Amino acid sequence: MPENNKTIEYDALIIGGGIAGGEAALNLANVGYKVLIVEKDLSIGGKMILLSKVFPTLDCSACITTPKVSEIMRHPNITVFTSTQASNIIKKDDGTFEATITKQPRYVIAEDCTGCQLCEQACPVSVDDQFQYNLVGRKAAYIPFSIASPRIAAIDIANCTLCGACERACPTKCIDFTQTVETYSLKAKTVIIATGFQLFDPTLIPRYGYGKFKNVITAMQMERQLAPTRPFNTILRPSDGKMPDNIAYILCTGSRDKTVGNPICSQVCCMYSTKQAQLLMGALPMADITLYYLNIRAFGKGFNEFYAQAQAMGVQFTKGKVAKITEKENGNLLLRYEDINGGGVVKETEHDMVVLSVGILPNQGIAELFSNDELVLDPYNYIGQSDFLASPAQTSIKGVFVAGVASGPMDIPDSILSAGSASSDAANYIRHLNKKTVSV
Amino acid sequence: MEAKKGETYKVLKEKMTISQEIKDNLKTFTQIKKSILNALKERRMTVPELSKAIDMSTDRTMYYLMTLLKYGFVVVDEIDDMDEYFYYKLKNNG
Repeated sequence: MPENNKTIEYDALIIGGGIAGGEAALNLANVGYKVLIVEKDLSIGGKMILLSKVFPTLDCSACITTPKVSEIMRHPNITVFTSTQASNIIKKDDGTFEATITKQPRYVIAEDCTGCQLCEQACPVSVDDQFQYNLVGRKAAYIPFSIASPRIAAIDIANCTLCGACERACPTKCIDFTQTVETYSLKAKTVIIATGFQLFDPTLIPRYGYGKFKNVITAMQMERQLAPTRPFNTILRPSDGKMPDNIAYILCTGSRDKTVGNPICSQVCCMYSTKQAQLLMGALPMADITLYYLNIRAFGKGFNEFYAQAQAMGVQFTKGKVAKITEKENGNLLLRYEDINGGGVVKETEHDMVVLSVGILPNQGIAELFSNDELVLDPYNYIGQSDFLASPAQTSIKGVFVAGVASGPMDIPDSILSAGSASSDAANYIRHLNKKTVSV
Repeated sequence: MEAKKGETYKVLKEKMTISQEIKDNLKTFTQIKKSILNALKERRMTVPELSKAIDMSTDRTMYYLMTLLKYGFVVVDEIDDMDEYFYYKLKNNG
């Protein structure tokens, strides 16, 4: 057990520093409440900070996210703990909460790091870069990604050889291998769960060959290839560096599919695939892009126009379920599918790259964070909304609210709206608690 | 052992054992880096050309070449006549 147990007190604990958690934190902080964000990763910004552009406006995602995360980091009422997790959350009789906060060491003194990357240059170790979805390597001493917030180095101790090169290279001597796990006892008046989502693992559908066929990639890997901070110099096939000119998308990979345990629609795949198709038409003007779909769900504001725009640009939409992918010797891929609008005929087409539009799944283990009260989940393991119409942020525990995709699949604008609802309910809850304390 | 600023890794080194997997990974990367950089000393190459020159699969060559591009050892040159593959060359040998 680490010795450095300190007691800390905030008005609100927000679990998750993605766009929903960050928005909820800003809303509460702007009305004067003290907020603690605990983020399990090295940077806040969640998945949004890694996207290229957003649909249907095609605004640059980083251009929206970076000012937001910067505001969160600089806000006097917000404290951010990265590489940190909350556990053992207990609701007290007076309506407040206690929790254990566990902060993993970064092995870098955050206040002294200038983000100069000299440690990164000196480090001899290279491992898969999780922020580029393993398309390239990164060092064991590294800045997570160029627009990370906080933009400070971290040591990947699990892969470090302890050669000391980073320490010798650091001009401010901020690398500190003596750092240990820090634990805090937190007292808070309310809790907001903004734990986001995980992406479906496409290796669970072996007939698509992900992991085996190098030119079958996920939409998140394509998203990275389309971003300005991309892993390659342009959009290239991971198998051999060829510029692709015939790309296929397979929609509903791991969504609306009982066989993989996720029968519901992920809400975002149709539109992010349509967005990527449009971006690819811009980046590779000579390329053919085909989307294989079951139904196009263009339900939001401007979505149908966005879909029509993609069709007008020449993106091919083929209604058909892809049964199987096989790989040719040159790395090209043969897609066997049922052409539903073409009389149900089984066809085979060749593409030089396939993108799997993977669905989204709830993060596991959130209910287990609560010790003395049950956090009820919905049938699909998202956080249950106890009174969806009156208060979509309310969970089964009074004083615990949910924001963003933790409550179910939704896009970025809906996540931000959901964060607004959660922060408004949380502010009300704190006000009631404060009134009670004053009247006593 | 007391930690001296700038040499704190020595403290952890006394407590931790580095696994063989980590050592092997470092060795592999160093060898591949050396062979790629040596091959590119001769002339600029595309991924398939480099793959043949260093006798490694094209997908692994692509991964390591792009990693060296990210680390700043390699730069991108022109695309080939068929507009399919880019040429890559050493940063200071172009």
